[in-house]
Amino acid sequence: MTDTQKFNRREVISKALSLGLIAGGAAILGKPDFLLAKEKPAGIPDLVAVKNGEPDVMFKKAIELMGGMNQFVKKGQTVVVKPNIGFPRVPEVGATTNPLLIKTIIESCYTAGAKRVYVFDNVVTPTSGNARNCYKLSGIEEAAKAARGIVVPVDDFSYREVKIPGGKKLKTADVHSLILDCDVFINAPVLKHHSSAHLSIAMKNLMGIVKNRMEYHLTGLDQCIADFCLYRKPDLNVVDAYRVLMSHGPSGPSNPQSANVQMKKTLLLSKDIVAIDAAAARIFGKEPEEIDYIKIAHAQKTGNMNLKELKIVTYAM
Amino acid sequence: MNLIKIRKVTSGIILILFILMFLGAEKLSVSLSTFLLPFQGIPALMHTVTQPEVLFIIGLIFIVVITLLFGRVYCSFLCPLGALQDLLIAGSQRFRRQPGHSYSRPLNGLRYSLLALTVTTALLGSLSLVSLLDPTSLAGRIFTHFLQPLLIWTYNLGILVLKPLNIYLYPKQTAFVPLSVLAVTVVFFLLIIYLAVARGRLYCNTVCPVGTFLGLLSHVSVFQFTLNQKSCSECVRCENVCKASCIDPQTACIDMSRCVGCFNCLNACSKATISYQRRQSQTPADTWSPARRGLILGSITAAASFFALHTNIHSFLGIHTAKANSPVTPPGSLNKKHFTQVCTACSLCVSVCPTQVLTPTFMDFGVSGLLQPKMNYEKSFCEYECNLCGKVCPTGAILALPLDEKKLTQIGEAELLKDVCVVFVDHRNCGACGEVCPTHAIRFVDKQNILYPEIDKQYCIGCGACQLACPTAPRSIIIHANPIHKKAEKYVSAETKVEQKTPPDQDFPF
Repeated sequence: MTDTQKFNRREVISKALSLGLIAGGAAILGKPDFLLAKEKPAGIPDLVAVKNGEPDVMFKKAIELMGGMNQFVKKGQTVVVKPNIGFPRVPEVGATTNPLLIKTIIESCYTAGAKRVYVFDNVVTPTSGNARNCYKLSGIEEAAKAARGIVVPVDDFSYREVKIPGGKKLKTADVHSLILDCDVFINAPVLKHHSSAHLSIAMKNLMGIVKNRMEYHLTGLDQCIADFCLYRKPDLNVVDAYRVLMSHGPSGPSNPQSANVQMKKTLLLSKDIVAIDAAAARIFGKEPEEIDYIKIAHAQKTGNMNLKELKIVTYAM
Repeated sequence: MNLIKIRKVTSGIILILFILMFLGAEKLSVSLSTFLLPFQGIPALMHTVTQPEVLFIIGLIFIVVITLLFGRVYCSFLCPLGALQDLLIAGSQRFRRQPGHSYSRPLNGLRYSLLALTVTTALLGSLSLVSLLDPTSLAGRIFTHFLQPLLIWTYNLGILVLKPLNIYLYPKQTAFVPLSVLAVTVVFFLLIIYLAVARGRLYCNTVCPVGTFLGLLSHVSVFQFTLNQKSCSECVRCENVCKASCIDPQTACIDMSRCVGCFNCLNACSKATISYQRRQSQTPADTWSPARRGLILGSITAAASFFALHTNIHSFLGIHTAKANSPVTPPGSLNKKHFTQVCTACSLCVSVCPTQVLTPTFMDFGVSGLLQPKMNYEKSFCEYECNLCGKVCPTGAILALPLDEKKLTQIGEAELLKDVCVVFVDHRNCGACGEVCPTHAIRFVDKQNILYPEIDKQYCIGCGACQLACPTAPRSIIIHANPIHKKAEKYVSAETKVEQKTPPDQDFPF
């Protein structure tokens, strides 16, 4: 593991400039406290990308580059980590979020002082047998419990209806109460091929916190995926691009031998759900403009898909 | 005296194991079914006739042999419905001052008619009467349709209570049972309760075809109960404890065809007037005659009903009517004919199915297939990685397919209705069907960045996942049953995997 940090040139310049400004300003105005407080967010990148490591190592590096978990999780807060556990598949298929990553995120939350960390997903075709299979086969149940995460199987009684302000197609959604009641919402999707949305990444992963997902399919998948973000954006998005399912998503084949998986060994971190989807699309080999819901969400000002305008920190191990 | 204890323990264990088999977890159900079911009358018979397996043949021979030796001990030791009735009888006696049972005359006409009718209709290809009356199947339906929902609701309620304590467990779902089916189960359950409380084992002596058949064998069993009139003081203690109402102290007769072999009378008699010993050769002929009369009467009834219905019998029984939208039968049932002529509607597959896709039907298979289950794709889908129903099926109606074979068994075929499908109508992405298809039978064609579904029927196995996922009403993708199951083609991916042998690069695409 080489420890060479790769900053963008613009990033370095801007950091130097801001530091210079602070120093100068502090000297001039004599109010260093006020200015130092402002320095912190200025130093936080819009997006962090790490590659060539194991999921746990990459996450630890990425969150460090993002300014530490303390930026997102404060002492005594409740956290929900929402992986993709939509299908009864083993991790090798690449249809579900890497269990080691989920474990590392939960540990990191507890280290930052979280009171409780919940993990759940509303599986596709939720019959009682299928939901249990998804949680178990994905390895996430075991991994999350090992890190003292509270694994929550979904039931029909836990949803509350919310209005989507400005939603074009999606006017209301039945959202899981854990999301509505938590302090911090960490979205932890896997990057994979999707038969009807081209790609499933961070925004698509939010279909697993609502009950009325069939309404999305019926009224317009891309618009509804983008509309939901008008209601609630995750506080942090972690995209798992360690094993990327390149075709036959979102489920992939049940036999991992026949899964078309590429070991991209990449991890993305961002507060901006549109930016992270755009960056992930590039990693998959697609342009963000090809994915309708990314375009719509950008137009609806949910986030920025123009990666050139963002402060991106990359790090290759 | 010890015989009674042995009976109580044995039948108690059988009842508990049966309930566990019907309500337990998947592995438990499968392992219990392998050694419980071969020793049940109708399952052993059906299996031996249609799908001979060593254990089931042994079971059938065992049942016949113990009946020929000891009389109808099967009814008191091995039958789950018998055990259930004994429990009801014992319960009702706690609230009663004087012992409840007394001698009653046999209803031979009714019972032999029922047996003859059941056998005749079964030979003609309809198992409806067997399904309705067979004690194993009936007990199974009572467990699945009553006990299971009660237990699951209680369990789920418990989950709700634990939730605020941050303890989360998987909720369970009950099998879907249509009201008409539930009504049949309710009627029979009430009948069982009423008969048990008011008349002891009258169901077993009169209605149950297994009991009636074993009763015929009991006439000639090696060991028989006999009442020695000389030493009898007519204290009627034995009569009072006889659940089968088959001891008549006045004529000193014990009707072995109705005796369920519970051994209560041996204990009750203070003078040892009643004995259980080898049959005397001079069995009085007159105890035989009512039974014989009944048998003749039964045969005549059956024959008459057969001829009355003969002209239209097949269409009446719905045996040869191939309806356009006939129900889909589970994988392993080979074809509709095999399934409907072997399944006795015990609902064991319904209770173990992890996705609850198997639903008992009232008359979806016609009058000839009352209560038999179908694949209910409006409620659920068939799990790709599961072959439980075949593993537990008591009669061989659903054969145990190896998982690899099950994954290629086409029980139906999907049809896409493009005039309803939102992608074709609105030109917007949906793809809910393709997401859930386990066999790659649904592929998407990209036209101007919109993904249109198409079906490759050769890969479809008819699991119904697409039909359940389809958001339109009415559904735009539906499964049509294959009356004879076919073999699907195995999907082989066209693209080759990209092997990454180059050392990991350091570049990011942004």
